[in-house]
Parts: sequence; structure tokens; C-alpha cells
Amino acid sequence: MTDLETVANIAGVSAAVLGDLEGTFLGALRTSDGETIAAEMGFVGSSFLEIGALLGLGTLGTFSLSGPARSCLLVVRPQSLITALVSPPQSLGPVERAIDTAFQEWT
Amino acid sequence: MDTILQGLLDMAGVNAAVLFDGSGRLLAHRGKSVYDRALCEQVGGPLARAIDSLQLQHEDWESATAQFADGTLLLRRVDTISAGPCVLALVADSTLNPAFATVAIRVSSNKLKRALDGGAASSSVGSTGQASALGSLPSYPAATAAGPGGSQVGHPAAASRPGLASSGLSWSRTGGVTTADQPSANYLTACARELARHVGPMSKIFVEEAVRRVCPDLPFSLAASRALADELAGRIDDEDDRQAFLVALKNSGGK
Repeated sequence: MTDLETVANIAGVSAAVLGDLEGTFLGALRTSDGETIAAEMGFVGSSFLEIGALLGLGTLGTFSLSGPARSCLLVVRPQSLITALVSPPQSLGPVERAIDTAFQEWT
Repeated sequence: MDTILQGLLDMAGVNAAVLFDGSGRLLAHRGKSVYDRALCEQVGGPLARAIDSLQLQHEDWESATAQFADGTLLLRRVDTISAGPCVLALVADSTLNPAFATVAIRVSSNKLKRALDGGAASSSVGSTGQASALGSLPSYPAATAAGPGGSQVGHPAAASRPGLASSGLSWSRTGGVTTADQPSANYLTACARELARHVGPMSKIFVEEAVRRVCPDLPFSLAASRALADELAGRIDDEDDRQAFLVALKNSGGK
């Protein structure tokens, strides 16, 4: 199973997008808007990498965003970025923990 | 605003609490050690760009968390009328309790919103502002050890000036401004509120700076209210606005 499939199969993840820090679209599951999401999250990921470097916080592991309608989680992998769209937004916590567990298994 | 940010900074694991406006301009800041104003100002640009990008797809975002190898950056959106959409940022290390931090940043963002919009500026920076602002926050575990910078950790000012803090004579703990009595403190609050109508959320900082110029060595009293009003009026470009400001202050007890 690929990283993208692993994330997409977690309960609460409505869609998943694979990209990289350049904004390149590498694949998506259950969404037709993968290219836009990959571009946006590539930019966001690289911006927060810059912020982390400025603040001395080291490398970026995950970035999560929540709102009343939806949440999303960005997971930074060595060669890629995986974005998980979470629905309902309240599922963000469990999804984060599930991805964290999977992330530890990956490493 | 400083009092609110200081409340966040007092939480264990928090190294900086910063408020940015929508363009990434730093509005207020409290930080330990290396997290000084200059460093935090550098973060504003990339943070604003990242949020602009996020909002393309997540216009209604409320909070965000960036988890790094050596710490965490917590963000909370603060929608204000006077300063537009702002972002409250917490820079924390691995000792942060995420649950407490989530509650604290929500409470503080609401207080900052009220302070920026003027309605609660008086309650958070008024003569009893220090006690009321901190008192309405949950009691978070305080930092127990001084950070490398040391000077802004815990409540050193409160400890060294217990009389001022509890008697309502301290208008602002962080601004180094003290007042002679309750009416004087009320007057400073009115100054900040009225000035905010013309210059926005920086008004409290301008008031603190002006008080230090007008009363460099003494607690502020109403005897210096005219000098303070004139000093502050210099911040307002429009002549009519300036006159309206002076009239409003005179009606607020100034001499």
C-alpha cells in the first residue's frame, strides 16, 4: 500500500493528495481538485519550513488547519507532502494520531 | 494587549506570543530569550503569505498548528473590526501542554479581539486591567524556570510591585506606566480608547510612550492630562479629528 493509500484509508480522511514542496501534483484519491491542493500545500509547506528555520524550531513534521466546515492535515515526508482532507472537522485529532502512528511505522 | 500576551507567555513551554495583522505586520509581542521583536517581525512576511495561500481553499479557518522537530507553532485567527483579520501566534517548545494551550489561545484571541476593537480596551488596560485580564483566564501552569532571557518569565513585576498590582494603581505592567489614582488611570484608558478611533490598535502603545515623556519619573496624574492630550493629539493628522480628540478627552476628565 502506498503512503497516499495509507492516509486515505484512515477513518475521517475524506480525500488525500500527494505532492511535493515545489507544489508538484503527484497523485490524489477521492478528489478532483488535487492539482490545486498540491500547489497550495506545497507553498504552505515551504513557507512554514522557512518560518521554522527562522524560529529555530527545526524541520516541519505536520501542519494542521481546522475550521467549522472542514479540517486538513499536511504531512511532510522526505520526498513528498501528503495532504489529508478531514471530514467532519472534529475528526482531526484522531486522524492526526492515526497518521502519527503510521508515520512512526514509516520511519 | 501586552497583559494578554504575557498571560500566554507565562504558560509552561511557551517562548513567544505574537499578534500579527493580515499583512504580517507585528502588532504586539511578548517573547523570551531570542524571540525578540526583531526576530518575530521577520516571521510576519512568510506567515502572511502562507495564510493568504491557505485561505484560497480554507477561507473559514480558525486555528492551525505547525509541528516541528523542536517545537510547535500555534496559530489562531482573530477577526477584528479595527485591524481586520489578525493572527495570534504562539511559539512553543516540547514541554507545551497542547490541551491547555488550545484553551488559552482561544480565550486570549477573544480578549485580543475585544481589546483591538476598543470595547474591552478599557477592561484589559484600565486601572484594574492587570488583575481582571489575568483573572478571567484559566489558571495555566506557569513557567517554573526562567528562560535564557529571564526577564520576562513569570510575574516578576507583579512580585516586585504587589501594592500597585492589587490596588489598581498600575495602568500597565509591561509599559512601565503607573498612575497616581483611579481617575488618572481612567483617563489613560479614555486616551487609549479615543486615540484608537484615529490611529488604530497601536493607541495604547502611543499612550504609554507619551506618558513616559510627559511624566518621566512620576506616576501619571490628571495634573499632566493637558500635556498628555497635546502630546497624543500630535499623532492625529487631520485638524478636525485632532480637535474632536481633545474635546473628547476633556469630557473624560482631563484638564
